[in-house]
Amino acid sequence: MNLSLIDPFVLAQDCPEAITGRLRSGHSTSIRFSHRGDLLASGRHDGIVVVFDIETNGVARKLRGHTRQIQSLSWSTNDRYLLSSGQDWKCVLWDLNDGSRVRTVRFEAAIFIAELHPKTHMLFVAALFEDQPVLVDMAQEIPVRHSLSSAPRRSQIERENATEKQAAQDAKQTTTVTLFTPSGEHIIAGTNKGWLNIINTTSHKVQYSFRVTNNIIVFVRQTQSGRDLVINSSDRIVRTLHLPDFTDPKLDFDTLQLEVEHKFQDLVQKLSWNHVSFSPTGEYVTASTWMNHHIYVWERGQGSLVKILEGTKEELSVVEWHPFRPFVAAVGVDSGRVWLWSILQPQRWSALAPDFVEVEENVEYIEREDEFDIQPIEEIHKRRLDQEDEEVDVLTIEPVKMTSEFETGDFKMPVLLDIEASDSEDEVVAIGAGQFRRKSPGTGREWMNDDEMSGEETRRTNGTSTVQNGTKRRRAG
Amino acid sequence: MNDDRNASPKRRREDEDGYNDFPPRKCSASRSPPANASPQYRIAERPARRYSREDSDDERRYYRDRRTSRSPSRSRSRSRTPSRSRSGSISHRRARSRDATPPPPKPTALHYKPTMILRGHKKAIASVKFSPDGRWIASCSADCTIKLWDASTGTLEHTLEGHLAGISTIAWSPDSKILASGSDDKSIRLWHVATGMAHPTSFIGHHNYVYSVAFSPKGNMLVSGSYDEALYLWDVRAARVMRSLPAHSDPVGGVDFVRDGTLIVSCANDGLIRVWDTATGQCLRTLVHEDNAPVTSVRFSPNGKYVLAWTLDSCIRLWNYIDGKGKCVKTYQGHANKQYSLQGAFGTYGGPAPYEYAFIASGSEEGDIVLWDVSSKNVLQRLEGHNDAVLSVDTHPTEPLIASGGLDRTVRIWKVGEPPVLADETTATTETDGFDPETLPPNPFAES
Repeated sequence: MNLSLIDPFVLAQDCPEAITGRLRSGHSTSIRFSHRGDLLASGRHDGIVVVFDIETNGVARKLRGHTRQIQSLSWSTNDRYLLSSGQDWKCVLWDLNDGSRVRTVRFEAAIFIAELHPKTHMLFVAALFEDQPVLVDMAQEIPVRHSLSSAPRRSQIERENATEKQAAQDAKQTTTVTLFTPSGEHIIAGTNKGWLNIINTTSHKVQYSFRVTNNIIVFVRQTQSGRDLVINSSDRIVRTLHLPDFTDPKLDFDTLQLEVEHKFQDLVQKLSWNHVSFSPTGEYVTASTWMNHHIYVWERGQGSLVKILEGTKEELSVVEWHPFRPFVAAVGVDSGRVWLWSILQPQRWSALAPDFVEVEENVEYIEREDEFDIQPIEEIHKRRLDQEDEEVDVLTIEPVKMTSEFETGDFKMPVLLDIEASDSEDEVVAIGAGQFRRKSPGTGREWMNDDEMSGEETRRTNGTSTVQNGTKRRRAG
Repeated sequence: MNDDRNASPKRRREDEDGYNDFPPRKCSASRSPPANASPQYRIAERPARRYSREDSDDERRYYRDRRTSRSPSRSRSRSRTPSRSRSGSISHRRARSRDATPPPPKPTALHYKPTMILRGHKKAIASVKFSPDGRWIASCSADCTIKLWDASTGTLEHTLEGHLAGISTIAWSPDSKILASGSDDKSIRLWHVATGMAHPTSFIGHHNYVYSVAFSPKGNMLVSGSYDEALYLWDVRAARVMRSLPAHSDPVGGVDFVRDGTLIVSCANDGLIRVWDTATGQCLRTLVHEDNAPVTSVRFSPNGKYVLAWTLDSCIRLWNYIDGKGKCVKTYQGHANKQYSLQGAFGTYGGPAPYEYAFIASGSEEGDIVLWDVSSKNVLQRLEGHNDAVLSVDTHPTEPLIASGGLDRTVRIWKVGEPPVLADETTATTETDGFDPETLPPNPFAES
């Protein structure tokens, strides 16, 4: 509702320009905006998932269940469920209504990325380290896994002419990144040999393959429409390409030809890119740089570098765009802070004094004919009241586009009071006036032990030194 | 301090307010459940029989029985006009094309009838608010307490005690689970409605009386206006000040959030109404009327396109704050407001969606409640019953109910009834005979 009052010049800006804030809760390693853009999930080094409220810059929810660093995060379309994958080789689906774990899925390998299906929160696809990607159906208590292929689809001729070596190489390929198209009917997968595979979600068949590069595909991200793709690969080039509409029934995968639209790279410094993302409309591509403090912003119309976001004194890993605002968040590698870039809005002083107008140059004032006429006050009052004859509608709600407005029935995350005071995870605790001490390593991590997996738990409590007091918390049996 | 206290439109804070004619009442323990509540907290229900046409002995007996065993379903099931819904169908209204049937004529009068009088506060009531789910009525008073009443039965559910000075303002969180209150002890407290317990951390930061509070639509932010002339934006979860807005040069009278939470409106005794951007804290618009009368209360219209402001020149003005530099589109007059800050509300009447009209309800210092049609500025009804100034009026979110409270220490509930029938008059005078005059004062609504 504020859009009509904001300076149109400010609204016309679509690229963030300056650091406007930062968020901190532990050491963040991975972030993701919710679809409505009011929440930012942040996975931490200690395995806790923190949900920030972007409006208050405060912590809205803390989710405990992982024991190692969080690798990736994915929101369900209604923003009620959050899927997190961790370096403890498990994926957890969280219900943000009460912060409970809906499902926990363990893998036999490290997880690169896990992405929720856009239509159902009970289905996700994950890319695993040195293993084939899996499509996991969590509708039942015991999740059902379908292994997907990483081998690119070869045409008939290619298959006939294939040497044994090539076939073996195809079989050895692994997938490094997976994600769903917006309709959820297809999975886009990137492999360690630079292939991009389009996999049908229901038949689990690779329908189309396209070799983007000879190097590893590190990360793939698409726009909300699903028609644009940005690919980060280990050859230090960020590629963008247009995709066809996969939901179109007339689309023939056999004749499909994909083409790389832009190749973004830094020719001078030969920088490699940590993470890439799209602006909401796909107009801009951002990439955080390895061993460097900058975020590069390219514009896709001309394929030119338009801006470098800077201001941090540390390398940045994950960089994410807000779903509809010129607002970028990035994680600092050293401090674990989340840095926020946005547009600075100057205060228009004419808004404070309604009698004044901001003008560019001097304007000669022409007074109205009756401006200084003296009239009886009652007359003025009466005239004023008589002018108020327009119809006023105070009830009809006009839809506003581009807002995080809630429809009825939309999920609203409950507001928890006292979330920060109840469990402060700061490493330093105050023990007196001006006196601080470092927290002992185990305190505040008791939640790790009352997990549902009792076998692992005993191993951990006995084997490691996280619990220093031996008399504490040893369960019988 | 005393001088500006008198000069400014304070909701009643004097200890002696001339209403000590009631027998002294002992202070019962707080949060007593209604079952064993001391008799002075039992409500004296007005037998609202004028909208029931066939008056009979049976019916009279029914009301008498009802006082001992309250059936909560009774008053809820009585809603006869289609209710307005704040969020659901509202967006579709008027989108539908007019059918072949001619539209029903726009009503020219409303017929709210008194249904309940809720007694218990020992000093003047500053604010009365329905909860967003419609289940509760909260009232806050200069006696440092907040009382929570069941909106359908009028039972006192909780008395919230903890503030050290009179309470000027209350606000419901959108999920109806938390109540925020601002007090003259400079603090804002949160209360858990289910338990009636105060939240352990209160919001401390204002340097003077907290005069007005409002929740954001998501419930994650709270805005407060104070006599220290500042506007604070609070992070509700962490109980910390997110932003301090150097708002005004006089005590801030009222604050409100727009329905999507992106704008805040504030008003002050300096006569200014300011509209703020929630995200950046910048002033986007300032509305000022030529007369510069102190603005004591302000709120957004249900669709967020207008701002309604109460001023101490006995006017309520509706501002279009969007177009141009802001323009006063309507002035509502007919009530008295020279001294206190009155709060009012928007309500709806008429038929379902396309024939739904809006009214404005406000109290008056003469003791009545005035309902105006928003567009025509005509007075639709005057509700008479309070013995002194009515400071706060609120409308039920879905049902045609109005709650009011004021200097006479009572909360009154009003409900839409049938248009008055003359034959009722005779029975109306006799009906109170069977009741205890202590709990039921003489009927001030009798038309004689």
